[in-house]
Amino acid sequence: MADKLIRILYVEDEPDIQTVARLALETLGGFTVEICSSGSEALDRAPAFDPQLILLDVMMPGMDGPTTLGKLRELPQFALTPAIFMTAKVQPGEVAGYKEIGAVDVIPKPFDPMTLSGQVQAIWERCHG
Amino acid sequence: MVDPADLQAKLEAISAGYAAKLPEKLAQIEQAWEQLPTDYLNEEEFQNLYRMVHSLTGSGKTFGFALLSDVARDLEGYLKQIAQAKAAPDEKQRIHIQVLLSELHQVTLRGDTDQHGRIAVVQPANNAVSLVPGDESTAFRYLCPAGSNRIFVVEDEPALAELLEAQLSYYGYEVSVFGTLADFRLAMKSKPDVVVLMDVTFPKSPHGGIEAMKEIQRGRANPVPVIFLTAQGELVTRLEAARAGGIAYLSKPVSIDSLVDKLDALTSPLPSAPYRILIVDDSEALTTYYAAVLEHAGMTVKTVNNPLEVMAPLLEFTPDLILLDIYMPGCNGMELAQIIRQLDVFVGIPIVFLSAEGNLDKQLFAMGLGADDFLTKPIEPQHLVSSVSSRVRRSLKLRSFMVRDSLTGMLNHTAIKDQLDREVAQTKRRVMPLSFAMVDIDYFKRVNDTYGHPAGDRVIKSLARLLKQRLRETDMVGRYGGEEFAVILSNTDGATAVKVLDAIREDFSRLRYLAEGKEFSATFSCGVADVSHFGESTKLCDAADKALYKVKHAGRNQVLLADAPAVSGADFS
Repeated sequence: MADKLIRILYVEDEPDIQTVARLALETLGGFTVEICSSGSEALDRAPAFDPQLILLDVMMPGMDGPTTLGKLRELPQFALTPAIFMTAKVQPGEVAGYKEIGAVDVIPKPFDPMTLSGQVQAIWERCHG
Repeated sequence: MVDPADLQAKLEAISAGYAAKLPEKLAQIEQAWEQLPTDYLNEEEFQNLYRMVHSLTGSGKTFGFALLSDVARDLEGYLKQIAQAKAAPDEKQRIHIQVLLSELHQVTLRGDTDQHGRIAVVQPANNAVSLVPGDESTAFRYLCPAGSNRIFVVEDEPALAELLEAQLSYYGYEVSVFGTLADFRLAMKSKPDVVVLMDVTFPKSPHGGIEAMKEIQRGRANPVPVIFLTAQGELVTRLEAARAGGIAYLSKPVSIDSLVDKLDALTSPLPSAPYRILIVDDSEALTTYYAAVLEHAGMTVKTVNNPLEVMAPLLEFTPDLILLDIYMPGCNGMELAQIIRQLDVFVGIPIVFLSAEGNLDKQLFAMGLGADDFLTKPIEPQHLVSSVSSRVRRSLKLRSFMVRDSLTGMLNHTAIKDQLDREVAQTKRRVMPLSFAMVDIDYFKRVNDTYGHPAGDRVIKSLARLLKQRLRETDMVGRYGGEEFAVILSNTDGATAVKVLDAIREDFSRLRYLAEGKEFSATFSCGVADVSHFGESTKLCDAADKALYKVKHAGRNQVLLADAPAVSGADFS
């Protein structure tokens, strides 16, 4: 039996999306979510928060999602933490590319706030199945 | 845990906040676009523009602006191609970008008009269903007993049960009433396709309705859609109701119109005709393959292998979208696109090029000639289906903004008049009867003044709904003015039209509305004219209008057929 998913780190630069994702994941999904507005903020705060799962927007100003994940992976603590990319450009080739750099899945944007936590939970269960 | 209504309210508030910021975001995008140098490609500024558009793509639909996401995705794709070509956009490309920018404006102003699906669907939180992303209708279908019109009302108060049965049957629902949970359980044994209206409280069992539903849902792969009725508003009860598969929760006294809104959303999936796609490609094997893929996705497809023979099928088939191969003998796809665009009726039709062409210059050139998208062969079936359907959906929706009224979703004034012209012309050719009716709600201003505009809007919506439900599919209804509707009854003479409308008038007058705790009802007056007496559409319109005017002066709440015009003296000579 896998651990219950509770702590999610979400890296996303847009305030609107942050708000709706918090509602979707915390209120609806019952998870505890730490939201970071940039890759560098995520690197600062991830160790103390100790997430079980990481959600990353791909396109962010400054450090983008893949770079952020790469840097997180350099910390031994997060070498194996499942990560999911959120992106508006999902083409078949791209998903494979994201998986190659260590993502377990990709959730396409725009997401449906009503089903986001269900999607995340399903991916989590698959990783620990 | 979470209260669905509360969650919905929060979501709506967030979406409203997003909507409020959209104009500013668009202004920034336009400013960034206008400030781009035209003689060379400033990559940094271009990237900035690209990122702003990308952010709309990735957010719109989440906040109820699905169309915005669609248009932004197209613009983003177009910008990306230009960025890859590393040259400033030429004039044709600039025009294309301007067009997409103005489409962005339009969809921002309107939002998605059909959001009630989202609002009605509140899923039990512990039973989250993984939905296919990108398909907004999935959430809907999951709950939808395909077009079922049957309602089971489970209510122990005879007075309320009777009221619900009567009011819902005016809207065309087939209602069965159960006074006890035992009777209801028995009826559900055969797993009928119904929507359940369930009282929460029963004698000796304060949550009896919820418990019964939980038990019934347990044995089912697809939950039975159920709407709970209750006088209790506590969070715990609402939560339990949601867990029992409740998709809506209405407080007593029950507002019939919000109930019917929810029922309509559940029981009538949008009556959309299949998308019509014309494929022009000289390879027979490929056209057959593409046609099979699109037909499998529920579209209607016509194929043409010789580009020179495209005209007849184009005009007869009237496609919603054209898939065009670039390289064909005789006439290439780009030339064909230009020719098609020169025809007035096809100015707005989406054209998508299919080609093995990986060359960006060629692709951009094709875009300049009026192509909306460029799909590179070999193309994955799923990708083909999704690009085609999102294109068609968008183009139909943009068109509907121009011809539909936003409150009722009916044809607007201009559109219904155009339709009347066409129908009258057709009737003359085929010598068939046709009637035209003008319907006007009585004392509507008084409704607005006494009960407020939202109540007035509900009355208008409920009349619109009643007309749509009770008339045949071949009849056309339009919102003619504020509280005025126009109805075209094809293949119907004046006397029959009067009978039909009079029955609707009676049912309409029996509907009851609730506003600020007070109940009220409304009536309408109607004037009908028969085409055999008036010939052309302007005279027909006038006659119906005059008949309506007469009714208004003769006490209202009636339907009157316009007299045939007196034969003029000239005819005797």
